[in-house]
Amino acid sequence: MKPWLRYSICILLGLAGGAAYAVHQVRSGDLGRQVTNGPWSTNTDNGTADASALSRARVSLFGPLALPAKEAMYFNAHNDSDGAPLSGNCTYIVSGGELEARWWSITLYEGEGWLVKNEANRWSVGGNAPERDAQGNWSFTVSPERAEGLWLPTGQAPKFDLTLRAYHPKGALLNDPANAKLPTIKKERCA
Amino acid sequence: MTRNWLLPILAGLAVAAVAWHGTLLATPYVLMSAAMKKISSANGNGRANVFGFGEMATADRQPIVRPSPDLVYSSCVFNLSQGPVLVDVAPVPGKYWSVSIFDARTDVAAVRSDRDTGGKPARLALVRKGQVAPKGYDVVQLDHDKGIALMRILLSDPAEYAEVDAIRRKSTCQAVSAK
Repeated sequence: MKPWLRYSICILLGLAGGAAYAVHQVRSGDLGRQVTNGPWSTNTDNGTADASALSRARVSLFGPLALPAKEAMYFNAHNDSDGAPLSGNCTYIVSGGELEARWWSITLYEGEGWLVKNEANRWSVGGNAPERDAQGNWSFTVSPERAEGLWLPTGQAPKFDLTLRAYHPKGALLNDPANAKLPTIKKERCA
Repeated sequence: MTRNWLLPILAGLAVAAVAWHGTLLATPYVLMSAAMKKISSANGNGRANVFGFGEMATADRQPIVRPSPDLVYSSCVFNLSQGPVLVDVAPVPGKYWSVSIFDARTDVAAVRSDRDTGGKPARLALVRKGQVAPKGYDVVQLDHDKGIALMRILLSDPAEYAEVDAIRRKSTCQAVSAK
C-alpha cells in the first residue's frame, strides 16, 4: 500500500473517531457532575469563561441558557437517595427542609430535558407549594397515579430526572453545595 | 509492515485529539446558533433586536430544552454588527425577575436581577469593543456580535400571568439606530 494511502486512512479514521467520541461524551452525560450531594449533582461554573469545553458543551445541550451559580443553582437527580435510577412506574417521596435560597422549585423531565404530559398538567413543585410542619419540613409525592396531598406526576415517562432550581442561593448552598442540606428522594413502591 | 503504519497511526491519533477538542469547542456555538435561529423566527420573520414574549412552557409548548414551567421567559436575539443594542427591562414589583446576556459561546456576559437594581428598571447597552453606548446604561462589552438576552420572571401562581404579561411587554430590546 502506498504511504499516502496509509496516512489518508489513519487521518480519516482519526477525524471521524475524535469527533464521534466528543459527541458521545457530550450526549452520554447530563448537566454536569462537578459537585455531588446525595442523588443531586451540579456545576459551579455554568455560563462562565472557566467552564471546561466538555462542561460548556453538555450544558448547551441539556440546559442551555443556564444562569451562573450566584444567580441560580441547578441540581439534577437521575437516581433516588439509594442510588437506583428514577423510574416512571415507581412512587417516590421527596422531602426536605428550608433551602438556603430566595426561591426554589423541583421540575420533572424526561429524555434530554422535556416536560412530561400528564393528566394534572403539573410539571413542577414550587417552594411555596408544600405545607410545612412545625420544624419547617415538607414533602410531596412523585408517582404515575394521583396521590394524596401534593403530587408531581411522572405521566407515561419510563425514566425521568428531577431538576432542583435554587434562585439567589446563599450560605452552604452557594459556597459548599457538596455539604448543603438538600431534599431526599425515597422510593416507596413500584407498579 | 508495522513500521510502515507507525507514523500514519501516530498522525491519525494526533488528528483524533484535535477533532475531539474541536468538536467540543464547536458544540456550544452550533447549539446556540440553532437556538438563536429558532427564537428569532418565533419572534417574527427571523428579526434580531426585538423581544419575543413567549407563553409559559407546558408539555405541549417547549421552545427550548429543560424549560422551567414556573418562569415567564422573554427573549431577544441581538446582533451588534450595526451598532450597540439597548435592553430596557421594566421591573415587576414583588417578583423575582432577571435579564441575562448570553454570548454566541453560551457564556454569560451579564445578569441583572431585581436584587441588583433594587426594584428599578435594568438598562443595559450591549456593545462590541469600540462602540459607544448612550448615557444612562450599564455597558456590557461582548466578544461576539450575536447572542441572546433572556428575561425571566417568576410566577408563584399561574393566575398572575395576565398582570405580569402586561408589565413585561413594556421591556424593549432595540438597536441604538432604531431608537
